[in-house]
Amino acid sequence: MRRGTFVRWGVPIAAAAVIAGAMGAGPVIAAVSGEPTLPERTAQQLLADAAAATSERDGIPPMSGTVQQTASLGLPALPQTGSASPINLLSGSHEVKLWYGGVNKIRVAMPTQFDETNVIVNGDQVWYWDSGDNTATKVKVKSGTDVGRHQLPTPSPSDMTPQKMAADLLAGAEKDTAVRVTNNAQVAGRAAYQLVLTPKDESSLVQEVRVALDGETYVPLQVQVYAKGSAEPAFQVGFTQVTFTPPAAENFTFTPPAGAKVQEQTLGDDKAAEQHAEHAQETAQGLKTVGEGWTRVAVLPFKPEDLTKARTQQPDGQWNEGADPGALLDNVLKSATPVSGTWGSGKLIKTKLVTALLTDDGRLLVGAVTPEEITKAAGIK
Amino acid sequence: MSTAETEVDVRRTPGLVPVTETMRTVEREPGAAPAGPPAAAPPPSRPVAAFWRLLGSELGLTFRRPRNQVMLAVLASVPLLIGIGLRIAAGDEAVGGLIGAVAGNSLMLTFVSFSFLVLLLMPVSVAVVGGDSVAGEAGAGTLRYLLAAPAGRTRLLAVKYLNAVLFAYAVTIVVALSALVTGLVLFPVGPVTLLSGSTVSVAEGLLRILVTVGYVGAGMAALAAIAVALSTFTEVSIGAIAATMVLVIVAQVIRAIPQLDFLAPYLLPTWWTRFDAVLRSPIDLAALGQGLLVFGAYIGLFCSIAWARFTGKDITS
Amino acid sequence: MTVVTHEAGAPSGAAPPSGDPGDAIVTHGLTKRFRGGQVAVDALDLTVPRGSVFGFLGPNGSGKTTTIRMLLGLVAPTAGDYSVLGMPLARALPRVGALVEGPAFYPYLSGEANLLRFDAADPTAAGATARTRVGEALERVGLSAAAGKRFRNYSLGMRQRLAIAAALLGPRELLVLDEPTNGLDPQGTREVRALVKEIAADGTTVFVSSHLLAEVEQMCTHAAIMRTGNLVAQGTIASLNGGLTTRIRVETPDAADAARVLDALGLADVRSAAPEVTAELGGQAPEEINAALVREGVAVRGLAVVRPSLEDVFVGLTGEGFDVDG
Repeated sequence: MRRGTFVRWGVPIAAAAVIAGAMGAGPVIAAVSGEPTLPERTAQQLLADAAAATSERDGIPPMSGTVQQTASLGLPALPQTGSASPINLLSGSHEVKLWYGGVNKIRVAMPTQFDETNVIVNGDQVWYWDSGDNTATKVKVKSGTDVGRHQLPTPSPSDMTPQKMAADLLAGAEKDTAVRVTNNAQVAGRAAYQLVLTPKDESSLVQEVRVALDGETYVPLQVQVYAKGSAEPAFQVGFTQVTFTPPAAENFTFTPPAGAKVQEQTLGDDKAAEQHAEHAQETAQGLKTVGEGWTRVAVLPFKPEDLTKARTQQPDGQWNEGADPGALLDNVLKSATPVSGTWGSGKLIKTKLVTALLTDDGRLLVGAVTPEEITKAAGIK
Repeated sequence: MSTAETEVDVRRTPGLVPVTETMRTVEREPGAAPAGPPAAAPPPSRPVAAFWRLLGSELGLTFRRPRNQVMLAVLASVPLLIGIGLRIAAGDEAVGGLIGAVAGNSLMLTFVSFSFLVLLLMPVSVAVVGGDSVAGEAGAGTLRYLLAAPAGRTRLLAVKYLNAVLFAYAVTIVVALSALVTGLVLFPVGPVTLLSGSTVSVAEGLLRILVTVGYVGAGMAALAAIAVALSTFTEVSIGAIAATMVLVIVAQVIRAIPQLDFLAPYLLPTWWTRFDAVLRSPIDLAALGQGLLVFGAYIGLFCSIAWARFTGKDITS
Repeated sequence: MTVVTHEAGAPSGAAPPSGDPGDAIVTHGLTKRFRGGQVAVDALDLTVPRGSVFGFLGPNGSGKTTTIRMLLGLVAPTAGDYSVLGMPLARALPRVGALVEGPAFYPYLSGEANLLRFDAADPTAAGATARTRVGEALERVGLSAAAGKRFRNYSLGMRQRLAIAAALLGPRELLVLDEPTNGLDPQGTREVRALVKEIAADGTTVFVSSHLLAEVEQMCTHAAIMRTGNLVAQGTIASLNGGLTTRIRVETPDAADAARVLDALGLADVRSAAPEVTAELGGQAPEEINAALVREGVAVRGLAVVRPSLEDVFVGLTGEGFDVDG
């Protein structure tokens, strides 16, 4: 063709290149992590600094931002429920907005299309707002219980803030983990240290766990769990946008809007919660673990009928259509592989990060280990 | 010239009135004598005014066209129907969420109307005007006369796209106004409850509607860029319109398939519905900003494709 | 704003390739090969002098319209270059009125609104005087009375006239008319011819394409003949005819005698086909030939001088018949 044709079509091609470049810029910067801008630290120094900074200002500094959680566990696709159901967090990508003004001033919002759920903690007042059913729930905390530690009736998205995840993971770092620190990560546009934890045990499915700490405030900004043989994190939770300035006060004041249903609930008095707690206790009694550290396998008694029973126990149909655990289980079991051995026989479900074995004698074994390891665990009764 | 006049008189034929004065009296361009030396012609003296004149002509063509008027009327009627439907169903307690909120507040009808219309009906009307822009002229043969006038290819394309953008905003404004009027008539006026559960004044509610109109209009302008680009590839306007709608529907299907979730952030419909960011407290400016960036990327890409195609196209229709 | 259309080789519109800068149209090796390899116009060298009424002649499908589209910047040449009015195309086009392949208008607009639309497309036309221009153009083609009527209600002849009116919006230095009498009745054809002569009389160059030989012969001062994308001949009508000789035709019952007399007079190429005898006239006076015939006792029923037509030129150059009325 003519020379001018190439020149002309160069314009849209250049436009496409610029757009592709702009789209790729974020992840690329995070992954390539150019020049380190932070001084080098050993893991010990870093944790000490972080601890010092935390105790110095009495916790996490006031901040706000957007937390994104992405899971690609390799599970079969889960049906979309459209609500803030915790089961949704197992696949796809989710976003919550966080405003943190202090231990007693927290707002967590989970926006979905044309809906939003909010948990607002202000002093001793806790509100749960769901725009979907136009309901404001005032959660009263029994005196003597601590808000921060107590479970809210609906699992709140604050459970997956980087702060908590990091703390949990750091506690788990023991002799069976190789720990190193990089000082050139970028999270939400901020320079960050990255604590990289690598399991020493070969049979673990976890390649490594990376915890990013803000270079200035030492606030955990991101947690990534990498499965073996995968370049993308199987699970990731972190800030996509963060500012360390005290959020506006109106974020923590909540007045139920006119026309909204207002409910009150006292934590601890709630019957359903008590049942939940009882159920959890029962389950905990039957729970055993096999192994140590990264390759620990949880063994618990399990019958598929239990879930069906659980479904009928929900009086007001709290499970949405798709979130019904029974249906979910059916869905998952479809992709299970039947296995057998000296320990018996069962069905094996393998994801990138977690292997589960449902034995025919009614045990469920779950662990971040290879299938060989979990069948080995199944042999230990 | 004097001899010409006498000759013309002799040759006069019925039905053709010789107006030999025409060429001398009608001033087209100061200093450009019809028979002047070729190089003496000054460049167009009022390019900006001439551009607006062509755009005005284009807008007149678009908004006076019965087909487009019907589309605007249909779009204006939808909020009315939604409003009446919700008014009838208002007693029903089971309605919750955004729709339930309408019963309590007149301004919410605007947001509900957008949430219904932004996914199909508004894109259809924008696709019709955008897809018809170049292909329609090519099909009717008027394109060759416009270009011989000479409208200039880049200039004509700019006018065509601006016209489609203005129509996209007209569509958005018509929906917003119809919903506002219907809402004010059928539902109580008062502070607006946002999705976050907080409440803002009527004035701020109106301001947020204004922001929504700006954002949704930009989203439709991005679709118009696709439609205009496709329009430069064909002489059959219905082809360009249908192709644009197929793209919109394919995008909707992709969004509905969970396995293809990772594609969603790159699709226009995903961002069209993000106007719900104005209903949060505080307004989720990050979401709006990212949406506008996506729209801008689409506009930049497809306008440059349209330009590359149209400036190099052989006009054989 | 510039129209970027033809990028092959030199900026063709920028400067006349060569020759008299006063020429209205000059092309050099102008070639258009469409996708698929079909050559519509093959290395065309055309020169249209200013002030001429130039007949662009050729059977349908001989590349006339493609040439016109290239001259108007609608189609980019594959090779070669051209110049219109000796200036860049974007500057030249406002001075060029064009009718290409029949009328094309917005059916739902009135005649006047249609012309206003095309006037608005011209960046050099002032909006303030648009109505005057449109009114005068309509008046010129005799459509003033139908100005407010929608185009879809126009008759075929009115449509053609509106297209000519669009070509006459404002002063033109060059008028390009592609088959201007197509689809017109004899009355309409006569009107268009008269209009073309009138416009030409004002000093405007008229470039008129046609597949009708007679039409070109009647209207034009110059002509070019196209055949399957190639230029066969071009020049003034007189010079084109000059290639062929004028003949004398004698109608007589005594064909043999007549032939002998003509031969004796020294006329070349005497052909006898009773009851007609023809011969090249050469430089002789027809009245003297008549006198000689009568002197020799040949009964002359009729005697005519036959000037060569463009059709003869075409047949002479190509050896093919011209597809009249294609």
